Amino acid sequence: MIILQLFINAFSLGSFYALVALGFALIFGVTHAFNLAHGEFVLLGGYLAYILVGQMHFPFLLTLPISMLAMIFVAVLLQKLLRYVNEPYELNTLVVTFGLALVLQNGMLMLFSADYRFIRSTAPIIELPKTQLVVTQTQIILILTSLLATTALYILLRRTFLGKALRATIQDREAAKLAGINVRRMSLIGFAIGGTLIGLAGPLYARTAYLYPSGGIEATLIAIIITIFAGVGRIRGILLGGWALGIAESLTVYSLGTGWRELVSSLFLISLLLLRPEGILPRRMGANG
Amino acid sequence: MMRTGSKPAAIYFIAILLFFICWPFLFQNSALYYRVMTMTFFYGALALAWNVYALTGNISLGHAAFFGLGAYGSALLSYYWHTSPYLTIPFGGIVGALYGALWYAVFRSLRGARFALATLASVEIPRVIIDNWESFTFGSLGLIGISSLTTLRFGSIVIAVGESLKAQYYLLLCFTLLILFIHWKVMKSKWGWAIRALREEETAASMLGVNTNFIHFATLLLSAFLTGLCGGIYAHLMGLIEPPLVFSLHISALPLVLTMFGGRYLVYGPLLGALILYPLDQLLFHSLLPVGHSILYGLMIILTLLFFPRGIGSWVQKRKTAS
Amino acid sequence: MRDRPHKESIMKSFYGVLSLILIIFMFLAASILLAGPATAESNPIRIGEIDPLTGKLAKHGQEIHEGILYAIEEVNSFGGIGGRKVELFSRDDQSQPEVAINQTEDLLYREKVVGLVGGYVDSLVGPISELAAKHQIPYVASASLQKGLTLGRKNPYFFRVANLDGIVQPLCGFLIQDLKPKRAAILFAATPGSTEFGQQVRSCLLDAGIEIPIFEKFRPGSPDFSAFLLKVRQSNVDVLISGGFFADHLVLVRQLKDQNIRLKAYIGPWGVAYPTFIEALGEASNGLFGMCAWNPGIQIAGTEKQSHDFVGGFTARFGKTPNTTTMHGYTSAKALIGAISRVSESGNDLSGENISRELRSLDLLLPMEHLQFDKNGDPMNYRQVVVQIEKEKMVPVYPAERKTGEVVQPSTN
Repeated sequence: MIILQLFINAFSLGSFYALVALGFALIFGVTHAFNLAHGEFVLLGGYLAYILVGQMHFPFLLTLPISMLAMIFVAVLLQKLLRYVNEPYELNTLVVTFGLALVLQNGMLMLFSADYRFIRSTAPIIELPKTQLVVTQTQIILILTSLLATTALYILLRRTFLGKALRATIQDREAAKLAGINVRRMSLIGFAIGGTLIGLAGPLYARTAYLYPSGGIEATLIAIIITIFAGVGRIRGILLGGWALGIAESLTVYSLGTGWRELVSSLFLISLLLLRPEGILPRRMGANG
Repeated sequence: MMRTGSKPAAIYFIAILLFFICWPFLFQNSALYYRVMTMTFFYGALALAWNVYALTGNISLGHAAFFGLGAYGSALLSYYWHTSPYLTIPFGGIVGALYGALWYAVFRSLRGARFALATLASVEIPRVIIDNWESFTFGSLGLIGISSLTTLRFGSIVIAVGESLKAQYYLLLCFTLLILFIHWKVMKSKWGWAIRALREEETAASMLGVNTNFIHFATLLLSAFLTGLCGGIYAHLMGLIEPPLVFSLHISALPLVLTMFGGRYLVYGPLLGALILYPLDQLLFHSLLPVGHSILYGLMIILTLLFFPRGIGSWVQKRKTAS
Repeated sequence: MRDRPHKESIMKSFYGVLSLILIIFMFLAASILLAGPATAESNPIRIGEIDPLTGKLAKHGQEIHEGILYAIEEVNSFGGIGGRKVELFSRDDQSQPEVAINQTEDLLYREKVVGLVGGYVDSLVGPISELAAKHQIPYVASASLQKGLTLGRKNPYFFRVANLDGIVQPLCGFLIQDLKPKRAAILFAATPGSTEFGQQVRSCLLDAGIEIPIFEKFRPGSPDFSAFLLKVRQSNVDVLISGGFFADHLVLVRQLKDQNIRLKAYIGPWGVAYPTFIEALGEASNGLFGMCAWNPGIQIAGTEKQSHDFVGGFTARFGKTPNTTTMHGYTSAKALIGAISRVSESGNDLSGENISRELRSLDLLLPMEHLQFDKNGDPMNYRQVVVQIEKEKMVPVYPAERKTGEVVQPSTN
């Protein structure tokens, strides 16, 4: 029974990780921009949701689409900035966004002050009948949203022309250009979709964890870890990777103790990187996403 | 056939070097500038050490592992066996190098982003072990009271390195020059050409007879050793270390930022990055804007990388640098 | 790699290097000139502050900063010290020792301060105190915990208004005398102060016969404790002592409720007894235990008016309620100001030696504590109180001489 509860919590945590990572993964996959300020963008979405819920008494679920829309604008702005970055693109975007993260962190510090904020959940916990298992509304939202977002992305990438073009750009930018795909437009679209996903993660981050100007680095780290070990561009791998990490962490904490959490996660990560060079999902011929 | 343009480069290198050697004699009492410049050279050395391995094309995000192991190796040896810092620091370097060898053994097949992530994760292993092994390393309490650098005696000349900031300045200057020399040798030697071949086209290089495995291994070991040395120096300079301090992401990321800022394919690139950013930040930005200084720092990085994608060194050296 | 005409490229790179060096030194020169000592007319008394103003600890650093700033503005509104205004120079330590050292040197060397205040973390307070000793400038730390900083250390220039004993003693007393749990779980953060706290609490509880089945360390900033809390539930502990900070309590308390875990008590010495904490959690904060040295309404006997005026003045000035961390900053600044005033009144010059001497014999009744320093620089009378949050208000419940209410046992937590 305890183990089942552990798994429920781990799945929720894993979904949370996956949601935080999705935006980063898409942007990195399509454009190879290594956005080290990713966490700060997630926080921005979170602060927006916090203001909407706190000051204007919006219902929580309404903040999700608003935040998603707002973050599309922000992401497109970022794309415009990163357009000026030259070769080597990956490394230079890493350093430029490093600087951007510093600017955003301290900007948020001045705008929102150093107080910790979070969005309260007033929903009662849900006790599953005939068991001692409990689940919260937030956990359900997390699991459902991550599943929905992953499915939506999967459908977009696999079943639409746009998706095909995006996947081509992810797989091989040069070849996509040769095939006549407007890579620059793909880049813009990639950022826009990435922005939507970041906007989705923001309010949930505010509700699951807490908002703090310097807290972005945690979110960025989660995003980097999950993206890379899921395999760049493998969307379903992100959800699986998030769940795997969540379960590994929870099991470690339960059996070995909280002090060992990061060690086991790292060993788990490294083993996965070595054993599955293509990412956590097995590679199928011609498959992607 | 290598045209390094060594003559004019050597001239202003010597000019700048003379400047750094001589200015302390003009400002006798400037404890502040000694400290800041000492740490500037320190970070320059750290960035150079990192870049030694980055030249092979593998960007490591986990050099803090070597740094932390070097710091702890050095500090623990000094604490328990009362060994002289001048021995514990090389020992720290060796501990770092050992972990580097482990990296090579385990991460050999990884490239690019996957390699970067593996290195990032690898910092946690020594960190958590040291953090939890309280009986030996004091764990989260950190190790305080590490002995400072001991006094050097050359005949009748006594240099109280531990107490004198000026002496520490010169020591770090020499140390950084040594690492700069090694960095130069790694870049502009036969080894350097092999590394470049490795970086640009690994398969072709090995086809041409470059022993890629050995180059890879040796460069990694060297980089790890040098970073471990920096860790040991840090422990004895600061006198106290804790796991989150020496295994921090800051230590991993800063060399990358400084190198890209200064110019990754220039011999003095990483050092230039440190020379510009660190004193500016500590001496000017902090006093101008006690709360907003990081914004200036971040803006400076963004603007420089946008206008000088090859680092600010590319402005200094108009000659086309290696791609 | 094609060679350009040799001369042209030499000249370009030469000018490049030269202009770069010139620019850098223009900046440095500007900074030297900008930060020169004051002119003859103004001649204010300069006090330096080093706190984590940005970064992970910014919340506490800013609070300490505001407390210090308020004390300085307060004394200036009464005409300053001996007719001279007091000027505060703040610096950010970025939670890194070498930055703290650099900035302290900057304050001592360029700004020429006569005293230092501030500080939140021991790994920074330590190096700063050593610098203070070296330059013979007094340093009154606002928040410092570990024994090691004052034990056996003969640093006549280091003083602190808080220490770990003032937290551990009341906590142990409360648990052993009042709450009397059979089993307790201790969770502490992987920082030196919290680790020392965890060790000391564990030893005093074990001595009193209380079992400690769970004694774990976590990294501050972790977003999830659900697996840990499952263990807590399994082990049937009465009390969970959490040595984490504000943000960690936010997550822990929420997850405790989410997991439906009943505890006799949840105690968070750092981060719970804050008005903003109660505000953030609302009803969910009821029943929690925290500790504080001061809060609006909770002050040392005899300082009611002082405390009330402080709250009023501070709220008017900063637009927010002060809390215990703010008060630590205020107290440390008051100590330094008090000592400087005494030196000024006696007509001696404001040397580090003189100010330190006055600090050693200081005796100030302040809302947080009756401030007196012992020979090691530790505060003699620093004792926090244990509070329980009842109806979203903080009620002191221990020690007996300071309590205003009774412990409310949870029927359902």
